[in-house]
Amino acid sequence: MVGALEFTPAIPLLPLASFFVALLVGYFAPRLLPKGGAIPGIVATAGSLVMSVLAFFAVSQGDYYAETLYTWVVGQGTFSLHFGVLVDPLSAMMLVIVSLVAFLVHVFSLGYMNDEGETGLPRYYAGLGLFTFSMLSFVVADNLLMAFMFFELVGLCSFLLIGFHFREPGPPSAAKKAFLVTRFGDYFFLIGVVAVFATFGTARFVATGEGAESFPHLAEQTLAAVGGEGAVPEQVAGFLDVVGMSARDWFSVVGLLILGGVIGKSAQFPLHTWLPDAMEGPTPVSALIHAATMVAAGVYLVARMYGFYAMLPTVLAIIALVGGFTALFAATMGVVKDELKQVLAYSTISQYGYMMLGLGTGGYIAATFHLMTHAFFKALLFLGAGSVIIAMHHNENMWDMGGLKEKMPVTYYTFLSGSLALAGIVPFAGFWSKDEILYEALIYGAGESPILLAAYAMGLLAVFFTGFYTFRMVFLTFHGDSRTETAENPHGVGWNVKFPLVVLGILAATVGLVNMTPVAKLTGAHIEFLKDWLVGTEGTAFSALGYEHYHHLLVDFAGYGAADIGPLVPAAISLALALGGAGLAWVLYNVDEPTEHTEKLGGAKTVLYNNYYQDEYQVWLANGVTRPLARAADTFDQGVIDGVVNAVSSVSLFSGSRIKRVQDGVVTHYAAMLTLGLVALLVVFGVAGGWF
Amino acid sequence: MVPMEYYLLLSAAVFSIGVFGVLTRRSALMFLMSVELMLNAAGVNLVAFSWFYGNLTGQAFTLFVMALAAAEVAVGLGIILTLYRNFDDIDVTNATTMRW
Repeated sequence: MVGALEFTPAIPLLPLASFFVALLVGYFAPRLLPKGGAIPGIVATAGSLVMSVLAFFAVSQGDYYAETLYTWVVGQGTFSLHFGVLVDPLSAMMLVIVSLVAFLVHVFSLGYMNDEGETGLPRYYAGLGLFTFSMLSFVVADNLLMAFMFFELVGLCSFLLIGFHFREPGPPSAAKKAFLVTRFGDYFFLIGVVAVFATFGTARFVATGEGAESFPHLAEQTLAAVGGEGAVPEQVAGFLDVVGMSARDWFSVVGLLILGGVIGKSAQFPLHTWLPDAMEGPTPVSALIHAATMVAAGVYLVARMYGFYAMLPTVLAIIALVGGFTALFAATMGVVKDELKQVLAYSTISQYGYMMLGLGTGGYIAATFHLMTHAFFKALLFLGAGSVIIAMHHNENMWDMGGLKEKMPVTYYTFLSGSLALAGIVPFAGFWSKDEILYEALIYGAGESPILLAAYAMGLLAVFFTGFYTFRMVFLTFHGDSRTETAENPHGVGWNVKFPLVVLGILAATVGLVNMTPVAKLTGAHIEFLKDWLVGTEGTAFSALGYEHYHHLLVDFAGYGAADIGPLVPAAISLALALGGAGLAWVLYNVDEPTEHTEKLGGAKTVLYNNYYQDEYQVWLANGVTRPLARAADTFDQGVIDGVVNAVSSVSLFSGSRIKRVQDGVVTHYAAMLTLGLVALLVVFGVAGGWF
Repeated sequence: MVPMEYYLLLSAAVFSIGVFGVLTRRSALMFLMSVELMLNAAGVNLVAFSWFYGNLTGQAFTLFVMALAAAEVAVGLGIILTLYRNFDDIDVTNATTMRW
């Protein structure tokens, strides 16, 4: 199996090839492009999927892979910048997820885009190909700078695909918003990357090869030296002198800077506002980018450099609180939305909040687990929503649906599987992963870090709302009587829609079984496969990337300690809350003629419906604060800076306009000046040389 | 044997006449002649020093200066001809179009 990993660079390069094919052939010879570029895309992502699975098996044999592919800036006596590939259990798992979802979304697009007679398909498939390439490259990146570059590229693809229908007013505006809001976070990330280079002299995630160092390891050495063991590495000590902060404080600052990018990309509060608007994009794009993969990039980045974050309790607490707050905050907004995709958008924000909560509370495995299960069930829900939208002739309002259960059973049952997973009902995928996150938050919060209990409480409360809005969505869409003509006679969907739904539906129901921690704790059976997968190897450079090592860092450096609480009661509480939410939705909305009960919330509904006025607040921030500030800066620039420059130049201009009159064109005057000049020179020489 | 100072005085006098001519005359032809005077004043100087130091380089150099002066006259006359064609006159104070 050694050979399988040698081909890792080809995994991202295949979709890149499909990007070029779709773009170039689509431009120069559109007739030659079958299905508007879908076929090259499907072939490329299928190839990536096969190679990802092979890589996955190779890694499961304990065969990791880290290789520098191309050094594009060679440092003379300082660090170099390079592209490299790193395949370890985490990235191998993510490769399979991304390429699988990308493959299914390409197939689904045949039904959603081609069969619906969309135009501009080569552009669409080129965007999907470029996105898949960027995301896969991001996943296998072996250093922070490369990760940053592809992080930006996925943001660009998101921009291109949200704005796919650029002739309508909504999508271009949503695309710009998504780009600007995530760029705002990425700006901090960029500073963080520079800070990492300046502090550690390297941005590698793992130290492989001759003389190579990884920055999490250098940070660990430094913090150990502060604690009295060993010496601070030279480069770090030198830079800390320049900064004038203690190692722990400075590392926390660096961690928070990088977290800025994570918060933007993973749509965490307060940079979540772009994601609901991003639903303007085609639904398969929402499934691929705004649910399963791109938004995961932020969370994945934290997991990727967890060896760095695990040592910084302040940053971890912030991650946990932001995550817990976002989970609750977004879930409450999801309760009142009328459009299918909007509900899913807020649930996405909420679920990524859970992942951040998991990472912040030391539940590395739980968060990674939720990343995986969420990718499947959220892609499923979005594709299911896409199928409903095809059936409803592109009407997304749930109040116009109803009774679709009998008319589209495949969509209904797969969607139900995804909904059960999202709501966290046993034994569907979401239950196991969400419950594990909450359990980890509880035991570490009750143990040594009480602040995590606040995050836990928010996460727990959000479970109830999740159960409620999920089933409100299901009941309104599929149950009851059909409320419109379109819902009476929905448009049928083809195999290319049903096939991805069925695959993901089965996964959403079963993938949670790979890590049934509560069952393992109770029965003592050895069934925590994901934990075994991520626990890490011993004695190689890669051991620094395993959970074993992270746990040791959490305990030694962040002061995390677990309280001894059995898994059964917390699991029962969260399940009860989820069932409670679902049950409330059943009572209120599973009737023949459902009415809008959200009106009873009164003023709260208005606030929720307007997303807590977050958009207004951010627009105010831009118009009321940034604009005047920019105007003041502009005045200063125009008045003072330009004033000084203009004053200096006006001196030259004025004196020039006077002195130029010497050039009057009369040759005699020039000759006179020459002679006078010569005489003056002679006199000066004479006086200075002592001739007189 | 004429002393060195006489040559130098002669040369200075001729040069000054040339400068005076350039500064006071308006006719381009007078200009050209004055310039010739200045050149030859320098030539006298070169020859005198060459003789004084017993080194022939200066005299050889003067030969070149003379050849150069001939060439200069050719070019100068050409310029004067063009001046005349453009301004119907050879008064240098008229030709003031190349100014600020």
